[in-house]
Amino acid sequence: MAEWLLEILSEEIPSRMQKGAQEQLKELTKKHLEEKGLGFKTINGFVTPRRLTVVVDGLPLQTPERLEEKKGPRVDAPQVVIEGFLRTAGIRRDQCEDRETPKGTFLFVMKKVPSQPTREILSQIAPSILEQFRWPKSMRWGSSPTTWVRPIRGLLSVFEGEIAPFTYVGVEASNHTYGHRFIAPGPFTVKNFKEYEQKLRDHFVILNWEERRSLIHQGITQIAQKDHLALLEDESLLDEVAGLVEWPVALKGTIDTHFMELPLEVITTPMRVHQRYFPLMDSEGKLSPTFGLIANTETKDHGKTIVIGNERVLRARLADAQFFWEQDQKKPLASFNEALKTRLFHQHLGSLFDKVERLVKSSAQLAKKVRADPKIVGRAALLSKADLASQMVGEFPELQGIMGRYYAENQGEAPEVALAIEEHYWPKVSGGAIPEAIPSLILAMADRLDTLVGFFTIGITPSGSKDPFALRRAGLSLIALSLNPHFSLSMIDLLECAYDAYAWSEFTSPILKNKEEVIPDLWQFLLERFKFTLRDVQASPYDHVDAVLGIAHENFVFADLALRVKALDQLMEKEDGENLLVAYKRASNILKIEEEKDKSSYDGSVLENLLTSPEEKNLFKDLQIKYPEIQTFIQKSNFIKAVQSLAELRLSVDQFFDHVIVNIEDKKLRANRLHLLALLRKTMHQIADFSKIEG
Amino acid sequence: MKTDFQTIILKLQEYWSQQGCVILQPYDAEVGAGTFHPATTLKALGPKPWRAAYVQPSRRPADGRYGENPNRLYRHHQYQVILKPSPDNVQDIYLESLKYIGLNPTLHDIRFVEDDWESPTLGASGLGWEVWGDGQEITQFTYFQQVGGFACDPVPVELTYGLERLVMLLQGIENVYDLDWNGAKGEAHMTYGDVALQMEKEFSAFSFEHVDAPMIFRHFEDAEAMSNQLVKSKLVLPAYEYCLKASHLFNLLDARGVLSVTERVNYIGRVRTLARQCCELWMESNHG
Repeated sequence: MAEWLLEILSEEIPSRMQKGAQEQLKELTKKHLEEKGLGFKTINGFVTPRRLTVVVDGLPLQTPERLEEKKGPRVDAPQVVIEGFLRTAGIRRDQCEDRETPKGTFLFVMKKVPSQPTREILSQIAPSILEQFRWPKSMRWGSSPTTWVRPIRGLLSVFEGEIAPFTYVGVEASNHTYGHRFIAPGPFTVKNFKEYEQKLRDHFVILNWEERRSLIHQGITQIAQKDHLALLEDESLLDEVAGLVEWPVALKGTIDTHFMELPLEVITTPMRVHQRYFPLMDSEGKLSPTFGLIANTETKDHGKTIVIGNERVLRARLADAQFFWEQDQKKPLASFNEALKTRLFHQHLGSLFDKVERLVKSSAQLAKKVRADPKIVGRAALLSKADLASQMVGEFPELQGIMGRYYAENQGEAPEVALAIEEHYWPKVSGGAIPEAIPSLILAMADRLDTLVGFFTIGITPSGSKDPFALRRAGLSLIALSLNPHFSLSMIDLLECAYDAYAWSEFTSPILKNKEEVIPDLWQFLLERFKFTLRDVQASPYDHVDAVLGIAHENFVFADLALRVKALDQLMEKEDGENLLVAYKRASNILKIEEEKDKSSYDGSVLENLLTSPEEKNLFKDLQIKYPEIQTFIQKSNFIKAVQSLAELRLSVDQFFDHVIVNIEDKKLRANRLHLLALLRKTMHQIADFSKIEG
Repeated sequence: MKTDFQTIILKLQEYWSQQGCVILQPYDAEVGAGTFHPATTLKALGPKPWRAAYVQPSRRPADGRYGENPNRLYRHHQYQVILKPSPDNVQDIYLESLKYIGLNPTLHDIRFVEDDWESPTLGASGLGWEVWGDGQEITQFTYFQQVGGFACDPVPVELTYGLERLVMLLQGIENVYDLDWNGAKGEAHMTYGDVALQMEKEFSAFSFEHVDAPMIFRHFEDAEAMSNQLVKSKLVLPAYEYCLKASHLFNLLDARGVLSVTERVNYIGRVRTLARQCCELWMESNHG
């Protein structure tokens, strides 16, 4: 059993692409080995900023002899074509099979592929692996037409201690590679993976991405703990830095004290986003002037020069931030709205200021519906986008909303107004926090509604992988926001309200759909996202979602629908639920068959005087109580109670099916019993369409 | 080792001269970056090998800060290197140049951080990095993929050193105006401020307060018309020079804040059209 080690040494690979590349190289290698009938025991991928590596262990030295099927031309192809095929395949016509396929009859031949040294196969497949590799963005260099993420500068291909030769983009595969760019550049040769990993380590390169990541985490944590501080957890920053260094060394830096009076986010955003530093927090949860940074090298002065340099850069960044902080606050926040008039929201949907005006209008309407203070909501809407024109947000776009809140607070706006300016961007990520304050919630919904209605009206909708305006995310956010149970509003009303806020006559879009087209389209679009949300977030099974949506097409309140599904989930977890489902299926099967036979439908108009057996009398009595009871609960959106009430029917339903025969001779009694079953079905349909539930 | 501003420039000239570069002088018209010099933009296109290096004073009217910001300048200096085709060991050659000017990579943290480059006015784009020295961006390192809408074949590599930042890192200072410009002692000693502060103040005032917008709009129209005429006359270098003028006039209007978003896009488009025409003519006349 033998091992193959392949390394592609390149100029620095962007951090964000590294993990994906590691997986892709592994998958492509696997695919190529399988195609050649080469079995193996293990395969592993590795990535650093400069190298992409795959190692396959447990390969045979020779490929096994095997048969390969080859498809030839059609049997009625011209004689020259057939002869050509036979010649290249090295066979006679009578060795071919004539096989019918949906496209006609073709020649097929089983060819024996003789055993071959694995090394030769590896030399063949290596260039093909590289050729088939797809980077999110790739480039050409020098005079070659071949592309890679950045120029390839070395190839290492070692099988069983010896080179498995190949050439790609003019680079010849060898058995040597290079170490850390500055501390120990090498080159050095390797015989196998174990030696490769160890020698890299000796040359100041940690091959394993996860190991680098955890070293970074440990290094920063150690710096923090020495000063009784804690790391502000930031997974994506850790991921990114793990892809920026081959030899992580944690160093401690200090923020100048006079910057510490700036708001937290104003200090940490340039630190994290621009400089990739790690902010540290003290025991009271306040930002510490100490921070962690990761260098890619060890130096004689133990990083002293590096820290001085980095602190100087941070000072310059924070001096900028401080300048913006002071400049921005020389003007009232509302005055920034003037600049929004020349900023486009979309070419055919007006300026950002037009959007603000619409939000003022539509959020006031929403406020009325939920009895919130229209003054607060209106003011928040008016100021919601102002900070986009501030210098700070111009420099640090991540601070949108946050700066608006600070500026509003400092200028004496009501606390709810300031909060809504920040929180109307929530949820910031899928599954992120939802604002609790009602003005924030209203503004957050109004903003998404405005975006969705606007783009759908001018004919821009997400399709396939194309969603440049992130409308799917806006939809998911809108649903997440509308699941607040104290905020049950019809989505159709909300969409209409957003549509009416647009001054459509002022727009000159080539496509302008009318309200009657747009709203049903958007409702369907949202319903699809909603199903996804229920399945993904609430873990509701498909069939439960379908069962509820099957009867709730007249109910446009997502909060209600979600609760109803949840109640159904709870019912079906218990035996009562399963039992009722069995009864429901029996009832509806009988009804279906008999209704077809009788060519009439039963609607539940039971005649009490025709009930004979105690079990059917009992069931009827129960249904008469339960039907209106469930109805009332549902009207109050109390779905848990409604479902509990339904579950209480179980005993009388079971007894009915145990003792009563529906299809009896007496036509009147039979019809009455069918009506009774229809009444049961009708009662259950108040909750959900149980026919859609599997089980 | 001496780290004054002019010594660093002399050292870079010396180093790149040794690498077989043609040492050129700055382009004698206002440009926003070394890339706009015809020795880069036009020479990047076509099959002929080309190596050049030069200082390019670069004007960014919107970045003017009246000499009050320690890091932002109306006019900064770029050291521009263009190598076509990109050599296989270009990263090593570049890192050697840092050593040559006294930036010891075993004492500093030199990093290549992803940063793709795009110039909407030139219709140009490329892939590469910003090179960090202890967290400071000191060089833009780009493999050109296209210029003026044309694919570059072979691919040139462009190295743009931000001279002020680089020298600030070497001198360990915080304010650009404190940079030692000439390394002389006594009366002859000159700082960056001594040499450039007045220009920063006056040109900031000019671009933010005194630009006569209607006049500059007219100048833009004229420059555009001139460039178009020169393209018709197949005079590529003069045509391109008027494209550069239009580009700078656009920057002035932009800094003055007189362009709405749509107008801004429109003006960028007009400059790009001029640039594309010039590149087209360059390619046709087989200068590359």
